[in-house]
Amino acid sequence: MIEINKINKWYGDFHVLQDVDEVIEHGQTVVICGPSGSGKSTLLRCINGLEPFQKGEILVDKTSVKDPKTDLYKLREKIGMVFQRFELYPHMTAMENITLAPRKVRKWSKERAQDKAMELLKRVGMVDKADAYPANLSGGQQQRIAIARSLAMEPAYMMFDEPTSALDPEMIKEVLDVMVELAKAGMTMLCVTHEMGFAKEVADEIIFMDKGKIVERGTYDDFFNNPQTDRAKLFLSQILD
Amino acid sequence: MNFAYDFDWSVLWRDPYGVMLIKGLGMTIFLGISAWIIAMAVGIAVGTLRITKYRLLRMIGTAYVEVFRNIPLLVQMFFWFYAGPMLFGETLSRQINRLDGLAIYVSIIGLGLYTASRIAEHLRAGFASISKDQYHAVLSTGMTQVQMYRYVIIPYALRLTIPPLTTEFLTVFKNTSIVMTIGVAELTFQSYQIDAETFHGLEATTGAMFIYLLLGMTVVKFMDLVERKYKIQGLMGR
Ligand SMILES: Nc1ncnc2c1ncn2[C@@H]1O[C@H](COP(=O)(O)OP(=O)(O)OP(=O)(O)O)[C@@H](O)[C@H]1O
Ligand SMILES: [Mg+2]
Repeated sequence: MIEINKINKWYGDFHVLQDVDEVIEHGQTVVICGPSGSGKSTLLRCINGLEPFQKGEILVDKTSVKDPKTDLYKLREKIGMVFQRFELYPHMTAMENITLAPRKVRKWSKERAQDKAMELLKRVGMVDKADAYPANLSGGQQQRIAIARSLAMEPAYMMFDEPTSALDPEMIKEVLDVMVELAKAGMTMLCVTHEMGFAKEVADEIIFMDKGKIVERGTYDDFFNNPQTDRAKLFLSQILD
Repeated sequence: MNFAYDFDWSVLWRDPYGVMLIKGLGMTIFLGISAWIIAMAVGIAVGTLRITKYRLLRMIGTAYVEVFRNIPLLVQMFFWFYAGPMLFGETLSRQINRLDGLAIYVSIIGLGLYTASRIAEHLRAGFASISKDQYHAVLSTGMTQVQMYRYVIIPYALRLTIPPLTTEFLTVFKNTSIVMTIGVAELTFQSYQIDAETFHGLEATTGAMFIYLLLGMTVVKFMDLVERKYKIQGLMGR
């Protein structure tokens, strides 16, 4: 379980997260949406300790992210993260990308890491691209490898930061299919995305953020059919164009 | 045309001068490669210090680069040669001064440390061109800072930096000519030596020039091969 407790973060004078509260229960999929600059990426980076925050508390399985005694490296092992621009290691093959962390962090043998990687490549439908370099893969393929790379650490949580917004329309589905499969298999997920079809299919809750605050939250039906704030109405009308 | 000068190109191969030039070339190559090894090791370390999240380490890295980059190499070389041994205290410095080939060690270290400051700068530019999310992607898998630099960021940045590193590698060989001033018998030194003994410095220097030219072209060819092997496919347009 991830508990986010009234966190506040400033970049200098700029109040980027304001009293953000949220609980993500085991097995849930939570979708975060909101306009550009509303603090969605920053929130994700606070959860796995890539960015510090000044006030409030985040607990991951009861472990405080803020506590200086917390081993953040250990904590990050159980929170996978997927990025908008994939961020594969360009000098490594797909296989090497996936096996690097299990081998160096978990100290798995090469064989064990590769077995795990093959299993994941199968899961994301990329077995035939094990030896390809990122530059020779399409965006959708790169993103599926990136998902496999995160899953290789056998995380309890997965965070996605706009995983399909850099993709051509015809590739979006292949990535969403993998994410839907993961959600249905019981992964606990936190997804920043504007793909409302995905939200409809798997989201247990949708959070709408604006200017560093959560201004609306609810189920897909609540949010989509009955938005409460003008900001959310405007946002929905924009993304549904 | 009359130059009032009797050319004698045989100083380029005549005994003992031909052998002197070849020995000079050997020394130049030895100095260049040895200095390059030091430069890469120190340059990577200093370049990485400059972007770590620890302020003190960043300041050390910056100070290093500023000092070595801004003082003329010739002055640095004299400094290491005359003052360097004294940095080790009185008794040790006396022993160091008696070392055989001290000037050669000083040359390698001086040239290596100077070139390291330049490599560090190129590498820093390489690090800066890697997106913040790329760093985050590595850390998000549970890797430590050290693992992140070692397995992903440094190998990636080095590949991005191959073109300027080619120039630096070439420059190391050219800069070796400076160490004749502290008496190391590299190629330029030997051509001067031939002049001193035969008064045919013009031929000797011309010969040395062509040897440097061939050496430089070989280095560039070699770096082309390195680039072809390590270039990240399709990345350059990113
Ligand atoms: N390192 C930083 N220093 C100062 N301001 C920053 C920094 N990083 C982000 N910001 C600002 O914080 C705000 C929130 O950024 P964030 O990236 O979290 O937004 P986002 O909701 O993910 O937006 P997008 O949809 O564009 O990705 C933005 O206004 C951004 O300019
Ligand atoms: Mg963002």
